[in-house]
Amino acid sequence: MTLRHRVLEFARERWIGFCVIAVILVAWEIAGHLSPKSLLSQSPIVPPWEFVFGHSFLGMSDYWTFDFLAPAPMLGGEKTYLGAVLAICYHSALTLMRLVLGLVFGTVGGVLLGLAFSWSSFLRRLASTPLHILRMFPLLAMVPLFQFWFGANTKGAVTFIAYGVGVVYFATTINAVSNIPNKYVEYARTLGASRMRIYRSIVLPAIMPELGASVILTLGLAWSTVIGAEYIGLDSGIGRVLIFAQFFSNTGRMTLITLLIILYATISYALFRRVASRILRWMPSSAFADAAVVRTAKRDDQ
Amino acid sequence: MIGGQAIHIADVWCIFEHTSGKKVEALRDVSIDILPGQFVCLVGRSGHGKSTLLRAIGGLNALTAGEIQVGERNVIGPSAERGMVFQDDTVFPWMRVRDNVEFGLKSQPIGAEEQRRIANEWLERVDLVDFADSWPKELSGGMRKRVVLATVFATGANILLMDEPFGSLDYVTRLILHSLLLDLWRSTEHTILFVTHDVEEALILADRILVMSHGRIVDDIIVDLERPRDEEIRAKPEAVRIIKTIGQHLGLGPVKRAHEQRRDDAIIAV
Repeated sequence: MTLRHRVLEFARERWIGFCVIAVILVAWEIAGHLSPKSLLSQSPIVPPWEFVFGHSFLGMSDYWTFDFLAPAPMLGGEKTYLGAVLAICYHSALTLMRLVLGLVFGTVGGVLLGLAFSWSSFLRRLASTPLHILRMFPLLAMVPLFQFWFGANTKGAVTFIAYGVGVVYFATTINAVSNIPNKYVEYARTLGASRMRIYRSIVLPAIMPELGASVILTLGLAWSTVIGAEYIGLDSGIGRVLIFAQFFSNTGRMTLITLLIILYATISYALFRRVASRILRWMPSSAFADAAVVRTAKRDDQ
Repeated sequence: MIGGQAIHIADVWCIFEHTSGKKVEALRDVSIDILPGQFVCLVGRSGHGKSTLLRAIGGLNALTAGEIQVGERNVIGPSAERGMVFQDDTVFPWMRVRDNVEFGLKSQPIGAEEQRRIANEWLERVDLVDFADSWPKELSGGMRKRVVLATVFATGANILLMDEPFGSLDYVTRLILHSLLLDLWRSTEHTILFVTHDVEEALILADRILVMSHGRIVDDIIVDLERPRDEEIRAKPEAVRIIKTIGQHLGLGPVKRAHEQRRDDAIIAV
C-alpha cells in the first residue's frame, strides 16, 4: 500500500472522529473568548489557542534558569522563544528520564519477583493475599511517605514509579505464570529440559502476551505517578512546571503542559506498540490487541 | 540411534483422589512387558486408563504402587529417553519450526552445528525443510504434528509415547501421518506405545494391541498381518476377528478371547 493510500484509508475510517475533535477545539476557542480572566496572571479561565501557543508558550522561558544559550528571565533576562523551547526540553528530559528509569526498574523488579514467587505453590500462596492488599493502596497518597523515605529528588521519584509499576508486574507475572497451559511444561520436560531452561524458554515467552497487556496499563500509571511525584515534591520536571503555573492561576501554561503530556504519552504508546508487535510476532494476529482490550476493560470495571 | 528399549511394568496401581474426596482407580494392577522395537497400540474407551498408563511410563504421573522399568532403571520422572507426543498441539508457538525441532537437542551435550545438522535431517524426513523458518501459526494442524514428530525423533529418544496424537486431524491427513510414522519407526526401530480409541488406527499401526478396560489390561493381541495394512488386508478374516474381539471387550457384546472367536467362526463355517 502506498503512503497516499494509507492516508486516504485512515481518513475514511476516522473522519467522524476528527470532526468531533475539530468541534471540541472550536468550542474551546469560543469559550476562551467569552470567559473572564484570572486575577493573578490575567490569563483567561479557558485560554484560547492563540493565547496558549503565543503568550503562554513564550512564558515557558521563565523556567529556563541557566544563564547560557538563552537569557534566564529569573536572573533579569528577557523572555525568548528559544528560552521557552530550552525550558520545555530541559524539564521534559528530566521527567522522561525519571519515567523511563522507574519503568525499567519496576518492570524488571516486578517480573523477576513474580517469577521467583511462581517457583513453588507455597511461595505463590505466601504472596497472593498480601499482594491483593498491596494493590489496594492508593498510590498518589503514598507520595509524601516515599519522599520522606527516599528524599524529594530524582531517586525518590524513580523509586516511587518503580514501586507503582512493580506491584502491577508482580501480580501480572504470578497470574500469567499460573495461566500457562501445563502441556507446554510437560512437553518440555519430556524433551529433557531442566527447570531453569523451562523458565527461560517456556515460561518467559509464554507470559509475554499478558505482560504486554500490562505495559499499556503501567505506561499510564507511570505517567500519572511521575507527574504526581514532581507535582508534590520535586523542583524540576514538567510536573513541577505545572504546579508553578497553578500557583499563579496561569491557565494557559497549565493547558500547554497538559497538551505536552498528552503528546508524550501518545508517542510512548506508539513506540510500545512497535516493540510489542515485534516481540509478539509469533502470536496469531490481533490476539494481542484483544487481550489488551479485555484487560483494560476489566480494570475499568473494578 | 537405532533400536528401542524394553519396558517392564509390574503390579502398577494408580489411584487419584479428587478434591471432592472421591477416589478413582485409574490403573489396577497392570503388569505387562513391552519388547524393544515393538509398535504397541493401547486401545480402550475414554477414561479407562490408557492415558494414565502412558503418562506413568513417561514419568508424568506418580504411581500409587508397583514399578515401571525402562532398560534396567526405574522410571522416576520424565526423561529425554522417553519422548512424548500429546493429543493437544504442543508445538511452542513462540519458536520458529527449526527452534522447536532443536529444543530437545539443546538440552544435550552436543555442539550447535551438530544440533543444526540433526534438526535439518529430521525436518527433511518429515518434509518440512521449506518451513524451517516459519512460525507455527503459519502451519496447518497436520504440519504441526509433523513438527512434533521431528522434535521427538530428533532427541534420539528410543521409546516414544503417543497419546492419541492424530485424534484431531482429518481422515486423509491422518492416513498420511500413519505412513510417515511407520516409515520413521521402521528406520529407527524405536519402541512405540500409541494410545488410540480408534480400532481401525490400531489395526493399521500395531504389532501388538493391548486392550484396556476399567484400569486393567484385558487383552493382549498380536497383530500378525502383512504391511502396509490397506483396506484389503484389514478386511481379511484375521483382521475382522481382531476388530470383533476388541469391540466385545469395549462393551459391544459378550467378551470372547481371540481364539474362542476363531472357534466360533469355525463352527459357523461347518
